[in-house]
Amino acid sequence: MIPQGAQTAVFLLLKIASLVGLGVYMVFALIMVRQEQLMARVLEEGSEPVIRIAVLVHLIAALTIFGIAIVLL
Amino acid sequence: MPTLFAAQTKTKGSPPASLLPKHLGYYVERPKGLRFETQADDEHVVLFLRQHPVVLVPAVLLAVVMLAAPVFVFPLFFRVVALPFVLPLGHIIVGTLFWYLFTFGVLLSTFLGWFFNIYIVTNRRVVDIDFINLLYKKFSEANLSKIQDITYSSNGIIAAFFNYGTVLIQTAAEIQDIEYDHVPRPDKVVETIRSLIKEEKGAPV
Repeated sequence: MIPQGAQTAVFLLLKIASLVGLGVYMVFALIMVRQEQLMARVLEEGSEPVIRIAVLVHLIAALTIFGIAIVLL
Repeated sequence: MPTLFAAQTKTKGSPPASLLPKHLGYYVERPKGLRFETQADDEHVVLFLRQHPVVLVPAVLLAVVMLAAPVFVFPLFFRVVALPFVLPLGHIIVGTLFWYLFTFGVLLSTFLGWFFNIYIVTNRRVVDIDFINLLYKKFSEANLSKIQDITYSSNGIIAAFFNYGTVLIQTAAEIQDIEYDHVPRPDKVVETIRSLIKEEKGAPV
């Protein structure tokens, strides 16, 4: 077992790394939504609602997990 | 909403329209209602193509492995690599949730890449819309009159089995060549473009 102080530092580092990682992932999810909008415009009337819903669900899930991480970590 | 990508005209060797989900066609001759951003009023789409869906198989297999990892791989990993501390439950929950989200993201971005990577042949030009990844997309086009040569290649057992290949459209020097990657029935694509050029020029390529 490692000392209590070191363990706390490790968990703090893990928490910061997790939040930064999730933050970057949220940006990725946001870019995905934007790209879907732009590409749907290239192909007029070509947007498939299921795909739009999927990218939005992905973004909402990323935001939710970020929120959960803030609460739980 | 009109059916844009499902096969309107059933052609020999292509799947029947009823088997294709709406908008997911990958070889559609003369699709009704399909319009793209720079399409002229008197221009109509003759051929609408995407890569053969078999190119998605590696991503699907990867997703299956990633989905199974938290159940089968991670417990084994943590049995072999013993951590010097007990990981709090919060970290395990967030880590697992993020893993599944990431898996979904990988699958979704791969699918978007396939869905928006499209090739269009009209009565005036050939268009190649590449959606390489989320941060890079490319729109190339060439008028039929600028096309100098068209060739196609089909490499490998899988390509031969599923009848897909790469069509290379060589154009006049100032315009970049256009490549239709992994398109189904490349022979038929070449034939269609050749006949359109013939119609426009009144002479064979």
